[in-house]
Amino acid sequence: MNNFSLSLTTSDDIVIMRPRGYVDSLGAERLEEASCEVLGQGRKKLVVNFSETQFINSVGVSILISVIQRSRESSGVLCFTNVKQIHQEVFEMLGLTQHVKLFHEEGEAIRYLAQEQQA
Amino acid sequence: MNARPDMKLLLFNLSALVDLGQAVTSAKEYADRMKTALYVITGMFSIPRAALFVYDAGRRELACVTSKGVPALADARLSHDASDLEGMPHNEPVTVRSIRDTGWFKRNAAILDRIDATVVVPLYAREEFIGMIVLGPRLSGARFLRTERDVLQVASHQIATAISNTRLFAQHAEQSAENGRLYENMRGIYHDTIRAFATAIDAKDQYTKHHSFRVGSYAAAIAHELQWSSNDVEAIYVAGLLHDIGKLSLDVDLINKEEPLTPQEWDKIRRHAEVSYDIVAKIRLPWREVPTYIRHHHERPDGKGYPDALPGRDLSDGAKILALADSYDAMTTDRPYRVRLSPSQAIEEIRRCGGTQFDARISSVLFGLIERDQAEIAPLLPVVRHTASETALPLEMDPPWRVDA
Repeated sequence: MNNFSLSLTTSDDIVIMRPRGYVDSLGAERLEEASCEVLGQGRKKLVVNFSETQFINSVGVSILISVIQRSRESSGVLCFTNVKQIHQEVFEMLGLTQHVKLFHEEGEAIRYLAQEQQA
Repeated sequence: MNARPDMKLLLFNLSALVDLGQAVTSAKEYADRMKTALYVITGMFSIPRAALFVYDAGRRELACVTSKGVPALADARLSHDASDLEGMPHNEPVTVRSIRDTGWFKRNAAILDRIDATVVVPLYAREEFIGMIVLGPRLSGARFLRTERDVLQVASHQIATAISNTRLFAQHAEQSAENGRLYENMRGIYHDTIRAFATAIDAKDQYTKHHSFRVGSYAAAIAHELQWSSNDVEAIYVAGLLHDIGKLSLDVDLINKEEPLTPQEWDKIRRHAEVSYDIVAKIRLPWREVPTYIRHHHERPDGKGYPDALPGRDLSDGAKILALADSYDAMTTDRPYRVRLSPSQAIEEIRRCGGTQFDARISSVLFGLIERDQAEIAPLLPVVRHTASETALPLEMDPPWRVDA
């Protein structure tokens, strides 16, 4: 059973990805594929909004690491928002937070990235 | 929950080991299971680049089965000799720094550098070398803690065991298929040999050409009607083909004698059931009941048959079927001393002898088969396409047990 889905929206040059459900199996690789696609199109500002993500396990972390790698390779800026406390602790332990910008809300990330544009 | 950071890490690692257990034992394809397993490891230790190689002893290579974060590594192969592993621990992480000067590393440096290898784990299951996990640097840049090394060792052992089990299963399946092919070949050889014997038996008696084949077919048809298993139907068919093999020891003139036989000549003729048994019992046929069916194919329910004069209760259904099929064919083919009976006349004769010479229950099965198509014998025989009047019974006919097989 696949309990994962991904919605993608864009706001100006910012791409917002909302992984929904369980980020715990190869089905969640859609997240990495989507990142590749948008980065390949030259969009370098990515937001991953975890508000609808219920569960992340080691496989999910591995996929998020791939997203981070793709973003770094393309000199992108990657923001994580709405990360649950338990997931944030895992991200911090494993060093993911050194490579992404964390925000409480999606809006904050969008405002931050919009300023990046002006800068 | 206010667990200390190292406790949280341990909890995460333990839950990852559970993820790994589920991944390697899932019903998914091997490639997906291995990919998920590598993702668990790379997620557990935050490693962007890694690859899993499986050992191919024949080619002395490690073939990449899955990788992460390294483009175009799918067909990568590492050269590997058994001697390369000397001194390497089983399922324990080894730093690349410590093996950088080895021949193994130097031979494979191009691929290992693409992964930015920092740690390798030689995989072992049941003391057998299975493959290698190659890990790039961690996202955090941190070195492996003692507890993390232990967790990695457990995870590696799980992956090694999963690969080993998959291989063993594939070997077992291959072996099983090979055994099946050998058994089919052997069965083919058995049947060719048995048919050759039957042809030799039937050639001896000019009046009963193809008698053995018809008896085998009739017996198989009755057994099939009684819903015997295909193996048991095959057994009774073979018994039919060989039931008169003892006649090979008789004089041709005696078998084909048109005048009434003397008591001494009858004795000789009657001995053929026992001689048939003695011959067939010496052959290790895959159907254990065949010799007994053959020995008793002239026994009668009233105990007045030969060679053992057994009463009906001591006779197997197989023996009763064979006796009936033999008699039915004898009745419906020309003999030196009389012309053949029609099927309906034969039914009448068998019915008259019901309970004494023939088993009533088995007989009624034969009657049902005959009455299903009065005109021809052919319907009796599910697949043997010939009629009672046709003597040119093809030797390559399909064995009757294949009908519903």
